[in-house]
Amino acid sequence: MYRYDAIDREIVADRAAEFRGQVERRLGGDLTEDQFKPLRLMNGLYLQLHAYMLRIAIPYGSVNAAQMRRFADIARQYDKGYGHFTTRQNLQFHWIKLADTPDILDRLAEVDLHAIQTSGNCIRNVTSDPFAGATAEEVDDPRVWSEVIRQWSTLHPEFSYLPRKFKFAVTASAKDRTAAKVHDIGLALRRSRDGTLGFEVMVGGGQGRTPYLASTIREHLPVGHLLSYIQAILRVYNRHGRRDNIYKARIKILVASLGAEEFARQVEEEWAKIDAPTNDLPDTELARIRAAFTPLAFETLAPHAGAYELAKASDPALARFARNNVKAHKVAGYGIVEVSLKTIGATPGDITAEQMDVVADLAERYGLDDIRVTHEQNLVLPHVKLDDIPAVHAQLAATGLASANINLASDIIACPGLDYCALANARAIPIAQHIAERFSDADHAEKVGELKIKISGCINACGHHHVGHIGILGVDKKGEEFYQLSLGGSGAEDASLAQILGPALPANRVAEAVDQLVEAYLRERQGEERFLDTFRRLGMAPFKEAVYAPAL
Amino acid sequence: MKAITANRLLDGEVVFWREGRWVERFGEAQLFADDAAAEEAVAVGKGQPTVVVEPYAIDVTEAGAGVAPVSYRERLRALGPTNEPTHGKQAEGGAAIEALLAATGAARSTGRVDLIRRK
Ligand code: SF4
Repeated sequence: MYRYDAIDREIVADRAAEFRGQVERRLGGDLTEDQFKPLRLMNGLYLQLHAYMLRIAIPYGSVNAAQMRRFADIARQYDKGYGHFTTRQNLQFHWIKLADTPDILDRLAEVDLHAIQTSGNCIRNVTSDPFAGATAEEVDDPRVWSEVIRQWSTLHPEFSYLPRKFKFAVTASAKDRTAAKVHDIGLALRRSRDGTLGFEVMVGGGQGRTPYLASTIREHLPVGHLLSYIQAILRVYNRHGRRDNIYKARIKILVASLGAEEFARQVEEEWAKIDAPTNDLPDTELARIRAAFTPLAFETLAPHAGAYELAKASDPALARFARNNVKAHKVAGYGIVEVSLKTIGATPGDITAEQMDVVADLAERYGLDDIRVTHEQNLVLPHVKLDDIPAVHAQLAATGLASANINLASDIIACPGLDYCALANARAIPIAQHIAERFSDADHAEKVGELKIKISGCINACGHHHVGHIGILGVDKKGEEFYQLSLGGSGAEDASLAQILGPALPANRVAEAVDQLVEAYLRERQGEERFLDTFRRLGMAPFKEAVYAPAL
Repeated sequence: MKAITANRLLDGEVVFWREGRWVERFGEAQLFADDAAAEEAVAVGKGQPTVVVEPYAIDVTEAGAGVAPVSYRERLRALGPTNEPTHGKQAEGGAAIEALLAATGAARSTGRVDLIRRK
């Protein structure tokens, strides 16, 4: 992984010291809350319903064991012994005290972590593929380019006060595990027929109140021009984005109102004015960053892992884990292990300090010191020898982290919702728990197959409900929690926005409705169809009837 | 009927106004039958910027088992998150907590919404 150099360390340490001074001035009465609020938000500190919440940036979802252990320490010492991974591959602590925050930031800085640019109208943490460097599908390592964007965008003076927040995703595989098409800019690395590496540049995607899928404005941007080109995009947005209206301030609104073609034309025009050689990344810098991601010391192993196969044959739980949570690695004899944070009955994305320590130990002992966070609120040990998987599985099971449900119906994304979030209309977590319980029979869950359920507690859509196969949005109907279901969304390479199923349902009807949708799917599905495929083939009618007809 | 609430600056804890002090338990909150008196207390609270953040009045009502905020969100603030019953004020239990848990209706409240507008 990328290691901080002296400059990175200085930036982070300076920033922590600066915030310490700001907190002192706030507590001493020299700063009003109005003056202080933007400063604390720039350091990831929100005031939520019950306490302060600190959001920590996890660059492109990549952490090492020492960093994970530090999260565990902070959870124990300054929070209630747990943390929450988000759809932005970040970590949130929900019970933080303002007075402790400067110490927490110092402790994070010691392991090269911070909370800079996790809030505010700036370029946020870059999303990337949690399988980067491990999957054979990728044409290049997307972390290299994510890191380039991270360095370029950190404290970027021109883009620190954009009309609104700004999110990048970088992917390099045909399979999209980043939800690139619902980011402000999605960058998909592709190799052209002549072998040159370029980005498909997609702009103007997003969720929230007005969801859009990103439009491609460049099919193949040579990678060397990345920085000058995204600078041109940001300049057009910075100039024309709707600063007058918070609901129209995201780039998606600008792209939609101009049309992708006209937007692309303006970007090209702006790009022509930029002196590319002085703005693009020098080859020496790229080489320096790339060196941080050089292939790890993989062993040469037999592709057939005898011990692993034997263990699977005698342990059905391990076999199930292998089917659902272990993915193909680019190196023979290795696997990518997904660690589900969706144990039935647990809070999606939550992890205790003890579990963090176990994951850190496993990463160090079996996983080349590498841990990833997925936007689906799970963790990944990207490099585990197949023959070590039985041991990893056993240790995960001992700490309650061996749920074999990746991509199944109980692997639900849920935002914190009204249980924590000051913006929420309704709770998301208990809804997720109720639904997950209905799929606690693992055979049934596997029979249903891939089903992505995503729940947001309000229209801001942090729970990605617009791209759920089944999306669920909490609304407030005359003071009661109601939930609007929508179907057919996808955040993957086959991206689509979900369509509303029908009138919102009361909380106690939601899990039952999901059951009815699944029953309808099982009745109608053909061959290997996923829920999403059946929906796409048949449309809304049979599903609508399944949920609403019984009430008639 | 009204009560006054805020978050404590130092740690974000949900607090309620009681006769010139801030207390942590909703059960100890001072109740105002008179809106003007409540607004006066809010004004005093706003004059304590190093103690609390953004004090505001909330509607409360007799809810069968006792007094509770009308809005569900305010009841959640007075209790703690529903997914972790041992976290927050609800952990303490007792009659006042039971009354809050028994109350129903009204998810949203006024006030609070602009607190983190920059999200
Ligand atoms: S979707 Fe709404 S309720 Fe959920 S975390 Fe985002 S802002 Fe809060």
